[in-house]
Amino acid sequence: MAARGLLLVSILVLSCFAETAFGAENIISFASLKKTLVVSASHKQGLLKAGEDKITVTWGLNQSFPAGTDSAYKTIKVKLCYAPISQVDRAWRKTKDNLAKDKTCQFKIVAKPYSSANQTFEWVIERDVPSATYFVRAYAFDANDHEVGYGQNTNAGKTTNLFEIQAITGRHVSLDIASVCFSAFSVVSLMGFFYAEKRKARKSQQ
Amino acid sequence: MEVEGAKPESNPPKFTLPVDSEHKATEFRLFSVAAPHMRAFHLSWISFFSCFVSTFAAPPLLPIIRDNLNLTSTDIGNAGIAAVSGAVFARLAMGTACDLFGPRLASASLILLTTPAVYFTSIASSPVSFLLVRFFTGFSIATFVSTQFWMSSMFSAPVVGTANGVAGGWGNLGGGATQLIMPLVYELIRHSTGAVKFTAWRIAFFIPALFQTLSAFAVLIFGQDLPDGNFSRLQKSGDKAKDKFSNVFYHGVTNYRGWILALTYGYCFGVELAVDNIIAEYFYDRFNLKLHTAGIIAASFGLANIISRPGGGMLSDIVAKRFGMRGRLWTLWVVQTLGGVLCIILGRVGSLSGSIAVMIAFSLFVQAACGLTFGVVPFVSRRSLGVISGMTGGGGNVGAVVTQLIFFKGSRYSKEMGITLMGVMIICCTLPMCLIYFPQWGGMFCGPSSKKTEEDYYMSEWNPNEKEKGLHQASLKFADNSRSERGGRSKAAAIPTDESSPTQV
Repeated sequence: MAARGLLLVSILVLSCFAETAFGAENIISFASLKKTLVVSASHKQGLLKAGEDKITVTWGLNQSFPAGTDSAYKTIKVKLCYAPISQVDRAWRKTKDNLAKDKTCQFKIVAKPYSSANQTFEWVIERDVPSATYFVRAYAFDANDHEVGYGQNTNAGKTTNLFEIQAITGRHVSLDIASVCFSAFSVVSLMGFFYAEKRKARKSQQ
Repeated sequence: MEVEGAKPESNPPKFTLPVDSEHKATEFRLFSVAAPHMRAFHLSWISFFSCFVSTFAAPPLLPIIRDNLNLTSTDIGNAGIAAVSGAVFARLAMGTACDLFGPRLASASLILLTTPAVYFTSIASSPVSFLLVRFFTGFSIATFVSTQFWMSSMFSAPVVGTANGVAGGWGNLGGGATQLIMPLVYELIRHSTGAVKFTAWRIAFFIPALFQTLSAFAVLIFGQDLPDGNFSRLQKSGDKAKDKFSNVFYHGVTNYRGWILALTYGYCFGVELAVDNIIAEYFYDRFNLKLHTAGIIAASFGLANIISRPGGGMLSDIVAKRFGMRGRLWTLWVVQTLGGVLCIILGRVGSLSGSIAVMIAFSLFVQAACGLTFGVVPFVSRRSLGVISGMTGGGGNVGAVVTQLIFFKGSRYSKEMGITLMGVMIICCTLPMCLIYFPQWGGMFCGPSSKKTEEDYYMSEWNPNEKEKGLHQASLKFADNSRSERGGRSKAAAIPTDESSPTQV
């Protein structure tokens, strides 16, 4: 039985290796993209509240690039991205060069067809945005939905123009009350059971 | 069939199942709910299942909770450790409580006292409060000990491994079922109430909490400690001697076999708990899956408990028929070591389908090892069965704590590396099993001593004073019934006992 188990395991292992050998796909690397877009974001001063405050994003082609740079651009997707400080010790927000595996920008602000003129969008921060420090990045996509250019409102080191968003707690007064009541009920009912058992024991002894 | 030997009982109790001289069932009929044996079985596994569901309700929803509460990997790791560390001492305390008060009261009390922690998870607002609710909720899985104690009190030697395995396995199922249930409940709440993500997960926690409360009520209303009745009634009528805590505790902790089993259990069950905590996030992050999908895959790890742990228990009983206790020990060692090998492979596999296949194989072996362990535990001590069960169970949780501390806290090792190293540790920590030796049955490498009998072993737990008072009678019956642990070949030479002719009144 052990021999059969070993055979099964080795077949499984070999099949996994066979699959990984066929891996190599078209990897789009962030480092290969040029910063051809100019992006800026304006918002109120101080801490922004999710669900309440707005961010106004403006983006357009950087005119200092040669004409024809934007010939492949079909769509622009503007995203909310985590600043490095909010990525510390959080592997699910890690920045990776392979854009298919990159988790820096997890929230879509807006997606619009590309136009050579500057565009603006006012975004109310959605209620499922967590508390963190952010910046804004826009990706330009070609007709095959591959990234071909980008722009962001911060510098290459992602240290300037960052802003903080505070999330909603998700708590409600009704939930708080329900929790307390049900908990009290559990404990009280236990005591009730003990009391009933003692009474039954006393009765049977009489 | 007349009752063997004169029994000082006024009303011979009627049982649906065939029983031995201790009125423990000698058969295990899964689809019966007959009182008291099978009813106790169903009550214990369902209540234990609900505790597991609550304890591991957070991991599948972590991708949302971690954003709501602003958790870091370290916070998540700490909460995972906290969830399984509370039960280390709770299990030991539970073992003692079962020996003294009976499994029905002990388990129902614990379940109802930990339910508030589950309700309060809904109002957690920071990493600290999250850690605290997971810590206190984790106490509830000490009900494992009451489950095993209850089964060992209701079922006789030939089927105790099976009963323990099925009850433990179907309870552990909760750890897998919750990975399916919680994302489902969460989605249902979001769609039906339109609640925001950060509120929907909070509402979802009421479901496991309510389930836990109701199962505790069922145990209190329908359950019974022993085939003959409840502890308190039996103690009052003098049918069951009331034992002293200090003696029970002493005989449990001085039995070295309990300590070895505690260590090895840490590397089958402890590993299972650690994996329950990290597996959903592992699949979600490594393979870029949807929350729902990661939950389903993670669930299959725990769901294997339907067959794997009971399978381990049954295997233990089957092997014992032919090879006795030595067979039980050998099988346990082989299965657990193979589990370690598969764990190493799991960490190395890079494709999704390969990972799933290896994970399922790994779950089967590791959970079967848990079932096999509790095929051995009921025989280590009779007087301190609860304490030994508690030590072993607690050891399981220590293994979970240590494993998560070393390999899955913070960002030191990637999850893949952690899983591989955990496999190596499993293999190393299973080796001490070679040191377990029962004088009357033998160990892995040594045969039995011809001079020692079952009575010698179990009577060594009682001093002459206690024997004079007749406190050792239950142990004497058990020693008799455990002679089957000598295995098939020596059955012909064994003294004819009650065990071979089940009493049916």
